[in-house]
Order: sequence, then C-alpha cells, then structure tokens
Amino acid sequence: MRIVAVDPDSCVACRNCEYTCAFQQTGDFDRARAHIRVAYYPAERACVPFTCMHCAEAWCMEVCPAGAIARNEETGAVEIDAARCAGCKMCLLACPFGNIGFDEADGVSGKCDLCGGDPRCVGSCISGALEYVEVEDAFAFRREALDTRLRHVLRLDKGRP
Amino acid sequence: MSSEREIQQTLCRMCDDRCGIDVHLEDGRMVDITGNRAHVWNKGRLCVKARAAVDMVYHPDRLLTPLKRTADGWQEIPLAQALDEIAERLVEIRERDGARSVSVWKGEAIGFGQQEDIARRFIHAFGSPNYLSNDSMCYAARYFGYKLVDGGWPIADLENARVIVMWGANPPHAHPNMTQYITAARRKGAKLVVVDPRLSAIARRADVHAQPHPGTDGALAWGLMRELIRTGAYDKEFVERHTVGFPELSAYAATFTPEMVEQETGVPVATVIEVAALMGDAAPRVAMYVGNGLEHHENGVNNIRAVVSLDALLGAVDREGGNRFVEPAPLRTLTLYDDVPLTHLGPLGADRFPVLYDLRQECHTMTAMGAILEGDPYPLRAMVLTGANPLLTNPNTERVRRAFEALDLLVVRELFMTETAALAHYVLPAASFLERSELHTHAKHQAITLTCRVCGFPEVQDEYQFWHDLAHRLDMGAYFPWDDETALNRWLLEPSGLTLEELEAHPEGVTYSPLTTAPLERGPFATASGKVEFASRYLKDLGYDELPTYKSPEYRGTPDDEYPFVLVTGARKLLYMHSRFRNIARFRTAEPGPEVEMHPDDARALGVGEGDLVTVTSRVGSVTIPVHVMSPAEIRPGELQITHGWSEANVNLLTHDDRFDPISGFPLMKSVEVRVEKV
Repeated sequence: MRIVAVDPDSCVACRNCEYTCAFQQTGDFDRARAHIRVAYYPAERACVPFTCMHCAEAWCMEVCPAGAIARNEETGAVEIDAARCAGCKMCLLACPFGNIGFDEADGVSGKCDLCGGDPRCVGSCISGALEYVEVEDAFAFRREALDTRLRHVLRLDKGRP
Repeated sequence: MSSEREIQQTLCRMCDDRCGIDVHLEDGRMVDITGNRAHVWNKGRLCVKARAAVDMVYHPDRLLTPLKRTADGWQEIPLAQALDEIAERLVEIRERDGARSVSVWKGEAIGFGQQEDIARRFIHAFGSPNYLSNDSMCYAARYFGYKLVDGGWPIADLENARVIVMWGANPPHAHPNMTQYITAARRKGAKLVVVDPRLSAIARRADVHAQPHPGTDGALAWGLMRELIRTGAYDKEFVERHTVGFPELSAYAATFTPEMVEQETGVPVATVIEVAALMGDAAPRVAMYVGNGLEHHENGVNNIRAVVSLDALLGAVDREGGNRFVEPAPLRTLTLYDDVPLTHLGPLGADRFPVLYDLRQECHTMTAMGAILEGDPYPLRAMVLTGANPLLTNPNTERVRRAFEALDLLVVRELFMTETAALAHYVLPAASFLERSELHTHAKHQAITLTCRVCGFPEVQDEYQFWHDLAHRLDMGAYFPWDDETALNRWLLEPSGLTLEELEAHPEGVTYSPLTTAPLERGPFATASGKVEFASRYLKDLGYDELPTYKSPEYRGTPDDEYPFVLVTGARKLLYMHSRFRNIARFRTAEPGPEVEMHPDDARALGVGEGDLVTVTSRVGSVTIPVHVMSPAEIRPGELQITHGWSEANVNLLTHDDRFDPISGFPLMKSVEVRVEKV
C-alpha cells in the first residue's frame, strides 16, 4: 500500500502542493479549496503539511449516514462520492485531523482522493517533504540518516577524516 | 468521439531550472504538464509554474501577428514585410551612425547558452560589439567572484555536503528543485546555514539563520575566515599547495573580530562563532551557494570573493560535498569574438567596467541608457530586443522609459504587449520555449537535453529563424548557414560524439562525460597563477584592491533622517519570474499584487496595518504600495523588501542606475535608502 508520507522537517511551506491541489479541484489557486494544507508558524519556523491519512479504520467513512464514503480498493484512498453526499458534515466532525473540507457552493464534503493513485501534490513538492511511497519505505531516510551519522563517528574513531 | 492523447517529453523554461516535463496533448493541443520522473535534475517534481505554461501559450492576449507602430496606432503587417522594413532601417542607421549605434538586448525569458550565443553572433556579424542582456545585473557578478578566486564557477555538491550555506539565495522560490537536493543532504544529517536579511522560505529549515544587514555579507565572510584561521581549523595543506595570497588574506582578516562583525552585520558574536565551528568540523564537505542577493550592492563582487575565499580556506574547492568543478559540454560555440573581434569599437561599458567585458563580453545596460540619451560615450540609435522587459526590470525606470522612447528604431520580440513592447516601432510575435528546439546543458549532472517543439503558430518564428531571416536580409547570411534550428542543433552537437537522435530518445538527459571522483587532479586552476587567488594580480593591474576588501554599504554610514529605511528589492516569489506571468489569472488569486514587506514595529510606528497604502520614496523616485506586515522573525526593523516586476507599483522607479559595484558594474538595488509615508 502506498501513502503520502509527510515530513514537516523537510517542508519549506512553499505552497506548491496547496496550489496544485486547489487547481485540481477548482481550476484556480484559492488555497482554502485545497485538500492539503500547510500551516506555517514564522516565530517557530514550523511548517506543517496536513492531508488525509486514509485511516485503516476511517471514522469519517463509518459515521457517514449516506454511505457516500468508501475505500477505493485499488489505491487505498478513502473517497467521498459527491453525488451521494447529503452535506450533513458528520465526516468533518469525525475526522480527528481536520482533513475534510466542505464546499459551500455545492453543499458537499470534500477530501483527498490521492488523485486516483498519482497524487499531484507530491509531484509538485519541490522540497521532497511529500513522498508517495510504499508504507514500509516511508521515513526510511531516518534510518539512513542514523546510518550516516554512525559511519561518520566510526570513521573518526578509527582516525579517518 | 475519443480524443487522442499523447505525451511529449521536453524541458520547462518558465525559469532557468529547466526541469524535465511530460507535456500531455489531446488532438495536438496541450492539456497538461507533469514532471518527467526520469529527468536527472528534477526527478519528476515541478513547481506550479510549469503547468501554467499551457495557459501562457494559449493565452488570449498572446501576440500572434507582427505589429508596426503608425500614427494611427498599431497596424498588423505580414512577417516578411516587417523583416524587410527592419533590415532596411538597420542598414540606414548603420550607414548614418556606424554599426556600433545598433545593439541587441537578450532577455532572461529567452534563456542562455545557445539562444544567448545566437544573439551575440548576430550583432557581431552586423559589425557592432553591443550585445546587452539581463546579465548586466544578474549572474555575472557571481561569475566574477568565482572566476577571480577559483578560475571558474564550481557547482555546489549539495547532496553530499555535511554543511550547506546559502548566501542570499532562496531556492524554493528562485530555483525550486534545488530544494530537494538540500533536503537529501539534511536527511543524511547535514546542517543548513542560511545567510539572508529576511527569513526566506529556505531559512525556515535552517539550523542557523544568520540575518545580516543588506550588503554586509562580506564582513560576515571575513569574520568566519578570521575564526577559522584563529582556531587553526582551516585546511592548511590546501592553502599551502593550492592558493596564493594567504599572508595578505590572513593579515586583513585579523580586524574582523566577532564583535566587529556583530557591529557591522547585526549577526550576533555567538552565531559567528557557531557557524565557523560548524564549517570547521564539516570541512571539506561544506557546500556554499551564492545567490543574486549578494550582487546588487556597491561592494557585491568583493563580498562574493570573500565567500569564495572561505571555500578555499575550508579546502572545499573541487571536493565531494564541497564545490565541484564540472566538465563543460563539448559543444560548438556560436559566438564570433575570435573571428570578428570588435573591441576597438568600444563596447558600451567596457571602459568603465573592464572586467564585465573582458570576462563575460557583456555590455553594460545602464551605460547604454546614457548612450541613447546623451550620446555618451557615443550615440546608440537602434535596438533589437528579445524576451526582455527593461521598463520593469532595469533600475531607474523613468530614465529607461526616456531612453527607449528616444531610440530611432526599437524592435521587440515578445509573447505579450509588455511595457517595453508598447514603446517599440515593430513588435514581432515570439515563440515560447514550447515552440522551439534547442540544446540544454545540465552542468551539475554533466548531461545534455534536447528540447522539442511541442506546438507552433503561423507567423511566430523561433529565435533562430528570426535571426537567420534578418541576417539573410542584411547580407550576412554566411554566418547563418543552417536552414533551421534542427540543422543548427546538429552542428552544435557534432563535437560531442552524440547525435540528435540519441538525445531525442533520452529526454531525461544524456551524460556527456562521467562525473569525476578525482578531486584536485585536473591540473592548475584556471587563474593567472594557476592557483586559487585570495589576492588577484589581475584586479590589481586594473586598479582595484587585490584582496576582496570589505566596504561598508553607504547606508550603514551616517544615519540619514530624510531616508531612514533601507530597502531590499527583487526578492523572488514562487509564482513570478521577474516581470513575467502577471497575466496568469490563478497566480493573481494566490499572489495578487505588489507589497512592501515591513516589520510590525515599523508598521506600528507609521500607524499602518496589513494592506494599508504607503508611499515609499528614494532619491530616485517614489511608489505607492500596500503594506505587508511580516512576523517579527521574518524581517528586521528599519529594513523593507519590495519584489520587482509589478507595473502597479514598479519598485525600479526607486532604484539607482548611477551607483555601481566598481568591478561588475552591477547597480545598487538591494540596499536603497528610502522613506515611508502613510497615504
């Protein structure tokens, strides 16, 4: 299974992902309409991307009275069928991450659907903070970073530069 | 009826990153652009400018017919007639005022390499040395900084570094995909130091953000050199074997104590010591990258030379994880500087800024304005300008406007009716990067890519065809013997041993020579002494200081009550490339207009809030512009930033075209004294 791995420590809040997603939804760059959001806190220099985690136990899906939310077996994405959505907003209440939005014009909920298995936000992530990877490969770079540090320490220990 | 969808792979040239793209076409019309996952540079990732190329190419305001200015306004004329008339006028002006009264101006939008060299070839074949370009204020000052010290501009080996230092550079906005290389290094444990007066996008990820006052970077570099020398943390073997001028450097550095550096730059003593220690520990795997931020100052080149000297002290020159020299692409060159030397005709600016012409064969655009308006040093009467908009991008816009209005002949090739095109006698529709085929070198990866012509419009010539057709009307067709750009590409590529067919088969880039892993074994450095030059005999002979001596920016001297703020101009934004793309509607949704970035304390003192209008005034001019109140961490009190390229509030109405870096001739654009008044 592939996931959108999100690494705040690599994000620069350039907003390419938000613009790309908003463009997919609306043809415009209104970030409020994107299904991925990046919070930026200048004082802490913190950049925090948020998008749907496609939870294994998806509370939004369980709570939906219209049966409008279902898992796409091919991509693993939890998707909303706008045609069935009643606009009750229960899914917004259920999502613990606040990753579901509401389109007031159409009166339906909206969320990430992994663009059918090729998430455009990842393709526009110029820092590499977003990766669409097999779940077991996600964050492998953290193990590799530790390896690199250990190798460096060992080299110094043996008197090599 | 199902439409036919195909993908053509080429490069994006919305900026100079030149990322690999997949252009999706339906029935021959572009419908989407996505990243080419195999491309050596961007590995499939793209900023949102790339997809907007579709909108740019099919924009309703696109110029598709040649226009001639008449007493009754613009008149559409056939292309052949336009070229005939332009050729006739050029010959008249050459006969009357000499060939050097004619110039070309190549803009950033056209790109570099091959397209630059065709324009250079044309004007030399015509008999004039006056090739003008955006490089009067971008790139060349950094090139000089590296060339004068290292003998060439090596490439920062970011992904293998243990410490990365960004000096006045903000890759997420200016070279978006460079960011992923920084991430790759950080994920392996590299520390990131960002030197920038503003908390830029890349500074958000910095381990250390050193925030010098604008134009004081050189003092910080000298302070770091002093620390490395004082603590013995510099690379003594490298200095001994590969450099000249260390005793002079060492003596000059001695005065740059951390306390003095703090006083001058505002970077705290502790930060100076911390950065020096980080560098010393990681050496030689310290990769430093200098951005345009250091160029637009009265002391730009020497500040850059000081940074480059720091590289050498760390032994980080031509080393993995430091700065690596690359092999140039084995391509033919189109310029005629050897075949048709025209130095005796006095290239514009070559007497005032000899380095600019000697090392880059660039004429000086600010000097060109004086040539047009005052005939100083001689009259300039005609200009053929392609893909540039100096009315927004050159300093002192009012003078630029007067100059362009005074030309006897101004020909502008453009996609849109820009502020500059509006002053032309002839406006010719230009081809976008998706409407031409050209060779590109990705020096970092020692790879070549061939771009392909994805679409086209009748009457819209690619750059080569334009120069070719004009040359053949001017009896200089012998210099443009290739029938079209494909024939030209084939000729350029020949010495490489590669074929166009191979490049067509590999749009992800073809390596022209393997990256070397043998540092410092390629022989002497390409300087006069064959070594890294802390002290430059070349500059000394031209009357400059041989060391990269530090000169405090003028605004740091006596406080000026009339102009109490210092204004940085030209910080890049994600969605715009200099003056381009303001007509992409969705970009306006995201970044709607110009603004002056201001510290909240200054906003409070002025009694203004977010979006309120203020008038910013320099000794040159003034603009009225909305305020953007920054977070206190993002900019210092007393310092402001306005991005260029907005006709609604054009910051170059404020910038100086008579205060220059003495070596590069670059104008002062990033430390302009101004005052601010609430409207």
